[in-house]
Amino acid sequence: MEGQLSSLVITKEDIETIDELFSQYLVDSQAKDIILLNKSGELLAKSGAVTRESAIAVSALAAGVFSATNELAKLLGEREFTLTFHQGKETNIHISLVDPLILLAVIFDNKAPIGAIRFWAKKISGSIKPVLEKMAAGPRQEPSQDFRKGLQDEIDNLF
Amino acid sequence: MSLIDFSKSEITFKVVYYGPAMSGKTTNLSWIFRTIPEKVKGQFTSIATETERTLFFDFLPVELGTVKGFKIRLSLYTVPGQELYKLTRKSVLKSVDGIVFVADSNRDRREDNIKNLADMFKNLEDYELPDTPIIYQLNKRDTPAIMSVGELVDDLQLKGKAVYLGIASSGVSVMECLKGITHQVVSKI
Repeated sequence: MEGQLSSLVITKEDIETIDELFSQYLVDSQAKDIILLNKSGELLAKSGAVTRESAIAVSALAAGVFSATNELAKLLGEREFTLTFHQGKETNIHISLVDPLILLAVIFDNKAPIGAIRFWAKKISGSIKPVLEKMAAGPRQEPSQDFRKGLQDEIDNLF
Repeated sequence: MSLIDFSKSEITFKVVYYGPAMSGKTTNLSWIFRTIPEKVKGQFTSIATETERTLFFDFLPVELGTVKGFKIRLSLYTVPGQELYKLTRKSVLKSVDGIVFVADSNRDRREDNIKNLADMFKNLEDYELPDTPIIYQLNKRDTPAIMSVGELVDDLQLKGKAVYLGIASSGVSVMECLKGITHQVVSKI
């Protein structure tokens, strides 16, 4: 069995904390962009020049790549690979596991040494973990019955 | 897994179009992409082979609009239907909030429908997602050698379930299916 959360709730405070960590990461590592996503391919947070639209597509594809890589790991007798790295002529992407459900994708050019990217990626993963744990375990702000009913009533207007 | 982001007042749901190879899953997404207004749709990402069959998945993010102050976003995915890509199908289904099962009405695809549906339920069971909302689109109703609706309902055990008759290539029931699954996923939050 491969259990999953039913929903993930991100608060304003969570994002502020992550944004702060990400800004510092971009300075320390010289990376261009950093994207936090979950294994189902949803964008959770991003920092850098990447547009939100691109970050959404990168998240879906990065999660797909990571998932495919893990099937490869299983075939080779590994439980999972914890990172994957793609090198281009000018741009590279480093995708690593932060916790069992969350991934970090770092986009960087050749000015940033891969060693620094890895080192800082590991470091920021450690710093982000408490925020992610808080997201997963923190008091869930359940939507009220009124809110739910309102959503249903208004969906028809969206189509 | 729905994603509720209070910092941006957004709720994102993951909807997967599942079904056997060539049943019209990508055609559904392409129709949605062509139909919805420019400002609400994101980048349509498709990883296809040179024969234009989905290799990995198609992905289309859609912003439906604002309800009760929250932007409702859908991440629409398709899976590759071919037998070979069983593991990819499973991985795309991870943390799904709702499924549109696209069945092929052609008689010669009968076994493929049954097999693919069983494969989907097995994957949902593995992920412990037995209550995932599912709606069914019986597609390709315009082709000559089709099965009757009754036969398909019996084969796939769809009695009492949400079933739509579709011709995705000309948009028949495409938006209705999207609306139907949106209602269902929203009711689960």
